[in-house]
Amino acid sequence: MAEEKDVADLREKVARAAQLLLFRRHMQPGVKAWELKRDLGRNYLEVIKVLDVELGKLGLTVKKVEGGEEDSDSDRYFVTMRGHPAVSEARTFGWRIDDMAILSVVLSYILSKRGKAPLKEVERVLEEKFPRWKVEQDVDRFIRRGYLEEDDEGVLYIGWRTRAEVDQKALLGLLLGREKVAEEKAKSEGSPEAGGNENEAEENVQ
Amino acid sequence: MVVTGQDRKELMLRIINLAESVTKSGVDPFDVDVKEFFERLRVILPKLRDSDELNLDIDAVLGLANIIFHQGESIRFKSSLLYLDPLLIMWKIRSLSSKELAGVLTSSWHPIVDMESITPHGIKESMDYWTNLPRFGDRAMLDSTEVLPEEMEFQELARLGILSKEEFIVAIERAWGELKEKADGGEISYWDFINAKTFEETISRAWLVSFLVSYGYATIDVKPLEEEIFLKPLPKPMKLERVTTFSVPISISRSEWQRRRKSG
Repeated sequence: MAEEKDVADLREKVARAAQLLLFRRHMQPGVKAWELKRDLGRNYLEVIKVLDVELGKLGLTVKKVEGGEEDSDSDRYFVTMRGHPAVSEARTFGWRIDDMAILSVVLSYILSKRGKAPLKEVERVLEEKFPRWKVEQDVDRFIRRGYLEEDDEGVLYIGWRTRAEVDQKALLGLLLGREKVAEEKAKSEGSPEAGGNENEAEENVQ
Repeated sequence: MVVTGQDRKELMLRIINLAESVTKSGVDPFDVDVKEFFERLRVILPKLRDSDELNLDIDAVLGLANIIFHQGESIRFKSSLLYLDPLLIMWKIRSLSSKELAGVLTSSWHPIVDMESITPHGIKESMDYWTNLPRFGDRAMLDSTEVLPEEMEFQELARLGILSKEEFIVAIERAWGELKEKADGGEISYWDFINAKTFEETISRAWLVSFLVSYGYATIDVKPLEEEIFLKPLPKPMKLERVTTFSVPISISRSEWQRRRKSG
């Protein structure tokens, strides 16, 4: 009887965790660790692991992004796609090919510069390939959406959303052709779960 | 070799500028010959005459120490798996088409999945709006009045689900703790306290301060002649009774914030 009660209790907590993670409650998506602890109890990580297994069946996963503070309370949890979308699929989310290309260039450039680069320098690189108005519009948009961060001295950094959504090692590897884009694309189009990268395992809750 | 005071000053300023370029503009720290600069500073040290020169010398030595720190960071980064030569990256960026670059992003991209939802209150409000909306034909005849944005009460935010009561109390307590620490038993300039790395964060801190003052966690002292505003944290939250209270409107524009960030 006690075992049945435990299972029912766990089920309830997994459902609650799914609601917390999937329904946006703040300006930003995701939930902070202290909020999960408050709602699910001290063993919230166990609940999240079970949820991750359940979401895996739907091609989704729970991802943790460290909050940068010593305690884990500031860590933030998100639900992301386990695999990755094809270019044609991303266009249906409202992304143009130019937008994706610009974000790809900005992130690669910043990552190659040890995680920060002056905005002016980034704009100069982008303007070699894209019109100025498009560059300004997109960089602004990426800052607003959290893919990039800008400090008051005009230096760009990798934003919280990039840390949550983009496998940075894979991005650089793909850019240099170390990993084959075509193969990756075929895998992701064939199976939504096939895009999982070994590097990601460290960041995903598994 | 005769080294004039002007030469000494120029050398020290050059080192300070170089250190700033390494920190802020991402200049490769290994482009700076630190050993050579330390040697030159050692040579001029006995010839430094006044406190200005000595201060410049301290800044130059600190700058070189900072460059060494960045060299360490650079080695650590280059030995990590994430390091790739920036020139190689630039070459690839130039050689790939937009479609290929887009493919690079999507193949390493795992978008966040979340849902926006509407609360029962939101549904009711929408229904009331729709029910009370005049017919389209009548709307053109109506006069419109410009309504300025108003301050949003905490209760309203809580009702909308943007901020829960617990989160709000935690945020207030945290801000109060920070204020007490920074004021160190005394008072602190309002602008110094709310000033943050981004404009949005500054506004958010100013919003929290308004509650700290309204709820009796701190007092605000406006000195119109000095054009200064000071915050003084109270040791414990107090209900200010029999005290004349008044509202203090403080305008914070982006340009004002930028000016204060630069000056301070």
